[in-house]
Amino acid sequence: MKFKSVYWILLLVGLIMGLILALQFRVTREIIRNAPPQERTAALYQELEESRENREVLQRRVYELRDRLDQSVAGPELANMKVELDRVRQLAGMTTIEGPGVEVTLNDNPNVLPPGQDPNNFVLHDEDVLSVLNELKAAGARAVAINDQRIISTTEVRCIGPTILLNKNQRLSPPFVISALGDPDTLTNSLKMINGVVDSLQLWGIQVDIKKVDKVKIPAYSGTLTYNYAKPK
Amino acid sequence: MTGKTTGYVSIMLVALILGMMLAVQFRVVNRAPAGISTDRAQEVVDELKQIDRERESLHKEISDLNYKLEQVNQGKNEAILALKSELEKTRMSAGLLTVTGPGLEVVLDNPDKGEGSRLSPGVFIIYAEDLLKVVNELWGGGAEAISINSQRIVATTEIRLAAPFININTKRVVPPYQVLAIGDPDTLANALELPGGLGEYLRDLGIEITVEKHQELTVPAFTGN
Repeated sequence: MKFKSVYWILLLVGLIMGLILALQFRVTREIIRNAPPQERTAALYQELEESRENREVLQRRVYELRDRLDQSVAGPELANMKVELDRVRQLAGMTTIEGPGVEVTLNDNPNVLPPGQDPNNFVLHDEDVLSVLNELKAAGARAVAINDQRIISTTEVRCIGPTILLNKNQRLSPPFVISALGDPDTLTNSLKMINGVVDSLQLWGIQVDIKKVDKVKIPAYSGTLTYNYAKPK
Repeated sequence: MTGKTTGYVSIMLVALILGMMLAVQFRVVNRAPAGISTDRAQEVVDELKQIDRERESLHKEISDLNYKLEQVNQGKNEAILALKSELEKTRMSAGLLTVTGPGLEVVLDNPDKGEGSRLSPGVFIIYAEDLLKVVNELWGGGAEAISINSQRIVATTEIRLAAPFININTKRVVPPYQVLAIGDPDTLANALELPGGLGEYLRDLGIEITVEKHQELTVPAFTGN
């Protein structure tokens, strides 16, 4: 009788073991099936990295050539044009500028969500960033950048998962630090207006931190000036 | 006595193996989620495509600058020409030039006080945010120049409610809002007309939106605040 109970236990253990073996087998097979996409992603990431580096090299070359063009310009007639060129470059966002302004830091809601709430409502969206940028421009900001990416006219802001893509290929992740050059008080007040942008963001628990700074540095736009469709009239 | 011991020993052995297998299983399962993501691959491909496009235009820019540098070194007249052309190009990106080209015309108007919308009529009007989103979507679709009701959109342009009107470049604009964008008409249209995209959303709100492709559009220059 005693031996019999041992056999029962052995049978049970063997059964469980078999089950686990089967499960293990299935999981492993699934992983093997899913492996190629992972490899592909990894390869793509590597290619992306190389592409980025190559792009940086080309970008530096453009800066260098632009500098050389500027330097080779001499003589009184050309000097006037050079002044105009500098002014227009500044308008186009192609120069780094410094001055007083604000730094606005945006971050997702750090708290644990109440049950049943849609988490989508509590993270930053492209339109939130857009409305902060818009508000800053309305308050007279002369130059704006997010995480050191200059905002120019053609800059788009798009959500890709938890990150934001702008200037076509610059991927930013939170926290987003928006720096704007302009009168610090005006900029701050317009963001903090009652029922304004900050109010509506804080409704969702999004963290907004505004800091007035004496000196904010807005980097130059690091893209190209090539037009494929538009022509001057 | 000996039979009992063998029994216990064998149970111990089985339990040992079982534990090891459990551990292995855990490790494998933990590693699994990192691998499976086709979406991620797709995103990377999109990004790669963008960077390649940009590299191409950087190459163009480099050869353009090289050409200008050569000109500058040839003589004074050539130097003036080279600088003029550089100035012209920079003016264009600052939005200081009127430009023409193929593109898209998007007209948005407030809903009629009638049928068409599933939502109660008259509740929804076009907000500044809607225009902001349309413009953002068009830049995303590769637009090279945009204007709304003759106001050129430049780096410092705001689109903002100044009740009851919308101000753009601090100038008042009234509906219907005519958005002109220069770029590839098909790509621009696709950016707006994606299933479940912005166009659909605005239409669902009852906003009247028409999208028309043009071979030739004129976007006016920025006239200053």
